[in-house]
Amino acid sequence: MTHSATRRQRRVPHAGQKRFWTRPLLWGVLLCICVAGIPYAEGLFRWLEPDARQVIYQRAPFYALLGRHMLVVGAAAVVTIAVGVGAGIAVTRRRGRDFLPLVAQLASLGQTFPPVAVLALAVPILGFGTLPIIMALMLYGLLPIVRNTLAGLQEVEGDIKTAARAMGMTPVQILQRVELPLAAPVILAGIRTSVTINIATAALGATVGASNLGDPIIAGIINGNMAYVIQGALIIALLALTLDSLFDSLQTRLRQRLSAFPR
Amino acid sequence: MIELSQVSKQFGDETAVDAINLKVAKGKFCALVGTSGCGKSTTLRMINRLIERSSGDILLDGQPIEAYDPVKLRRRIGYVIQSTGLFPHWTVARNIGLVPRLLKWSADDIQARVGELMSLLGLPLEEFAHKYPHQLSGGQAQRVGVARALAADPDILLMDEPFGALDPITRIKLQDELAALQARLHKTVVFVTHDMDEALKLADHLVVMREGQIVQQGTPLSLLQRPVDAFVESLLGGLERGLKQAALSRVKDHMSSLGPTLPSQYRIAADCSLRQALSVMLRDHADRLTVVDQHDVPIGELSLRRIVKEAQLEKGTSRDA
Repeated sequence: MTHSATRRQRRVPHAGQKRFWTRPLLWGVLLCICVAGIPYAEGLFRWLEPDARQVIYQRAPFYALLGRHMLVVGAAAVVTIAVGVGAGIAVTRRRGRDFLPLVAQLASLGQTFPPVAVLALAVPILGFGTLPIIMALMLYGLLPIVRNTLAGLQEVEGDIKTAARAMGMTPVQILQRVELPLAAPVILAGIRTSVTINIATAALGATVGASNLGDPIIAGIINGNMAYVIQGALIIALLALTLDSLFDSLQTRLRQRLSAFPR
Repeated sequence: MIELSQVSKQFGDETAVDAINLKVAKGKFCALVGTSGCGKSTTLRMINRLIERSSGDILLDGQPIEAYDPVKLRRRIGYVIQSTGLFPHWTVARNIGLVPRLLKWSADDIQARVGELMSLLGLPLEEFAHKYPHQLSGGQAQRVGVARALAADPDILLMDEPFGALDPITRIKLQDELAALQARLHKTVVFVTHDMDEALKLADHLVVMREGQIVQQGTPLSLLQRPVDAFVESLLGGLERGLKQAALSRVKDHMSSLGPTLPSQYRIAADCSLRQALSVMLRDHADRLTVVDQHDVPIGELSLRRIVKEAQLEKGTSRDA
């Protein structure tokens, strides 16, 4: 009785709900401040690059670059999640079990391909612009999602699945109500890794004409203008931190809602 | 009623269950006993088609089990396993209400049924309904497991070593509760265990299995009196068989009326088992005990000499038979 009481305290329902969202909110606010404030911080960047003609990147406003950057990462994420989680589910079903090693290997292969190489190969086929970078991000981001989906689903105890079957749940019901909810924290961790990596990787898109937060960085490198590089990198870093802490909060929240069963 | 005839199961080249015949009448408690790997769990799982048999026939209420859709069949058969298999992300109440929800009962009916079952199994609703499985003790979790199995009021209950992981005190308590429950509900139960005492205590029909085959089956008493071979005898406790047999009968069935002699100062309740009475005799150095009812009023006498004489008579008649 005493141990169950202490365990219950560990799972304080809804306590600190607000605290969940403070960190992502903080990073988000910082991101907005930077996006809006950099054009007014000419003095600061002038101090960095006293000889440059311009010290604030002006070919496109930062909020537009940020928007396009998020769109690219978002589009890639949606497809990657659908494909990755779908493949993970498919190969853990009885009928797809034979494909499990194949899918696991394909996914790791995707990550061994450097995104730059994917870009180089994709441009002749898909042309310049946004498509090749989405393609590269998809390939690159697939592994963490597939790997974690597989791990999450395989971690669900056999006895729980047996019990579910013995109670007369259909395979779809077992997947929806038992396996996926129990695997959700692990799958979410994979999505988090994938998206966070891709926020940085998406900057490469600037080399093939996809206009995003990589633009100032590439332009800065070409023109030898450190101020541009720092502006692009700063916003990308803040975006990555915002999303990462958002996922972190989601994960904590999910674990709590799933009763914080010991794992 | 459950009937298995010539049922076998092969896993690859290995024969897990070898042409067994078994009949469990409606409302009876059948225990499958044997060492690990003797095929008892496989037998159990073939009944609700978690494992498909390789050959033979299994009939439920006279119908072959293929006549039922496996999913619907399982909703009609309760199933309890040693590790409970409770869903860790669901509350106790939700776990118990699983099958009724699958059967699309109304929310009110489900709630009422969950409340009913929780009180039946001694789990106060306010205290446990919103707890999660990891917050329960082993005994409480297994009670929830039994409640979940009983939720849609199935006629058949399959139990796979349900109390195997519990400490001895909790195990005995749950065995007693299950026996009381069975006396009220009259389910057709198939119960797998490797604990012979548990099987003897609960079963109407005892089945001893070894290497996929049924070695002997019958009432617990008939097995205790005439084990077919050394294996069954050793499972039944070897030299302690006499005591196990004594555990099956009640003091009140062996007592004689109070005689003219001075009653013994040592007392035993009429509902105790003969084994407990023998234990009291040894402990208190008494060859006679005064049998009392629940109000501690003497109603008879139990004497060691008489018990031995009865056993001799019994042995004589069983030899003749």
